[in-house]
Amino acid sequence: MRAMVIDDSRAMRMILKRIVSKLDFEALEAGDGREALDLLATLDEVPELALIDWNMPNMNGLEFVTNVRADPRLREMTLVMVTTESEQSQIVRALAAGAHEYVIKPFTEGAMIEKLALLGLVPTGANS
Amino acid sequence: MTLSQAEFAFVSQLVRREASIVLAPGKEYLVEARLIPVARAVGAPNVSEFLAELQRRPNPQNQRKIIDALTTNETSWFRDREPFSALTDVILPELVKSRTATRKVRIWSAASSSGQEAYSLAILLQENLPPGWSYEIMGTDISTEMVKRAETGEYSQVEVNRGLPAQQLVQYFERAGAHWRISQQLRRNVSFKLMNLTAPFPAMQPFDVIFLRNVLIYFDVATKRNVLQNMSKVLRPDGWLFLGAAETTIGIDDNYERVAAGRTSAYRARTGAPAGAARRV
Amino acid sequence: MSVEVEVNENDLAEMVEQVWESYLDPEGISPLIPTYDENQPSEVHSSVSITGSWTGHIVYASSTSAARRAAAAFLAMEMDEVSEEDLSDVLGELANIVGGNVKAMLPPGALLSLPQVVLAPETTARFPHSERISGVYGVWDGEPVSISMWQSRGDNKEGAE
Repeated sequence: MRAMVIDDSRAMRMILKRIVSKLDFEALEAGDGREALDLLATLDEVPELALIDWNMPNMNGLEFVTNVRADPRLREMTLVMVTTESEQSQIVRALAAGAHEYVIKPFTEGAMIEKLALLGLVPTGANS
Repeated sequence: MTLSQAEFAFVSQLVRREASIVLAPGKEYLVEARLIPVARAVGAPNVSEFLAELQRRPNPQNQRKIIDALTTNETSWFRDREPFSALTDVILPELVKSRTATRKVRIWSAASSSGQEAYSLAILLQENLPPGWSYEIMGTDISTEMVKRAETGEYSQVEVNRGLPAQQLVQYFERAGAHWRISQQLRRNVSFKLMNLTAPFPAMQPFDVIFLRNVLIYFDVATKRNVLQNMSKVLRPDGWLFLGAAETTIGIDDNYERVAAGRTSAYRARTGAPAGAARRV
Repeated sequence: MSVEVEVNENDLAEMVEQVWESYLDPEGISPLIPTYDENQPSEVHSSVSITGSWTGHIVYASSTSAARRAAAAFLAMEMDEVSEEDLSDVLGELANIVGGNVKAMLPPGALLSLPQVVLAPETTARFPHSERISGVYGVWDGEPVSISMWQSRGDNKEGAE
């Protein structure tokens, strides 16, 4: 399985990569939504999961989610927002745009794994 | 920096005597980490000084603070998932058939800590009971501080991240400053009380379901048996008891039997369970 | 009606605590210990600006050693492997996380800037027409770290929509 980690902070990408690697995902990185879409266009197989920051240059996370949802080829990808945006209205917006889950920064490793478990992306036994 | 063996022994004895909790050796650094804020709060220069003073002059209030600090652990929403799925898939459909007279479901979240389990149960009942049904959830805990916290129904950002689906976060909570507060719709069906499970139980209305998860592991066998016996008196004859994954009544109290409940197992009274209600495992 | 600042010192302290719990001290053994000293020294700092319903800045400042330690925790590397680029990235993200959480508590219509990092003491920073309205000051493993909130004067005359 492959997971795309989309965040303009390299430090945050490192943290997310570490977590998904523990769950046996191969991690792909992008620094913003545009870069992520460009990378997706080059891939034969669509990654199972994308972890998406909201505030990024060029293309933000919400626009990325909207783009992915509009593309039938990317329909199977599970989309998780990972962001400091934590107003109730923002969460509602992201879910309405097609995000499957929402993780608020700061998050602990356990919290991220629990969210991925909700989405059925954690092999049983890894969630403890 | 870590606690000395004598200090750890003192803390171990204290929590064993006062809360029947056994601290595993090797957890000295964790005990110390939990006690640093306690020591600071009472104005002691460090944990060692705090413990030394407490040994010289026993102080029930500070002893309570130690127990509180060591018995509260992080809790997630819908922790372990399976018991909650069992409730939705197996138990509620059965209760909806058998409780037509009262159209009410009562659940006890024993050792409710900061309340996540009790409110998770409220979310689940809110979403799964037929219209016209009501529910009551009672949470109890040994810590005054935890009971107060659970009553506020307020959770930090980090706490609402843990296992709570985003859809339910926006539906059943509202932002309250830096926190999230449970909605009145759920809050009014949930109450919290101070209660020591190892002391005689106060009078209580019986429950349809009891969640007693990851509590027995802290008790010795005699205490476990005592708690389970008291529980059986407030569990309806056809009610269900959930324990933690590492816990069982087997070999401790034979009045319960283990039954399958969805993909997990629960415990029911050996006599009085309606035939065919549950598959034995 | 003016917009009240809805973020107090306790809120800020809680956010900071959550950053420690999540990234800098997941085991809970090395917390930020409060010093309440708003004049404690720093060697590096980062900031984000908020504009809109409230206008001001969130500043993260620390010694180089504490910044190095934070970077090492984020990036899972040894402290002596941390490059200047690593330092900048992690300092920026720390300001961004606290700033984002502050923003969420403000009236709707606040915007968060991208972070800015300066490898120089906080005292070299100038936020014109701003005053410090709250802060968390502490030591982390003996090294100074502070997170403070600065409000621009005259930003809150018009009230929230």
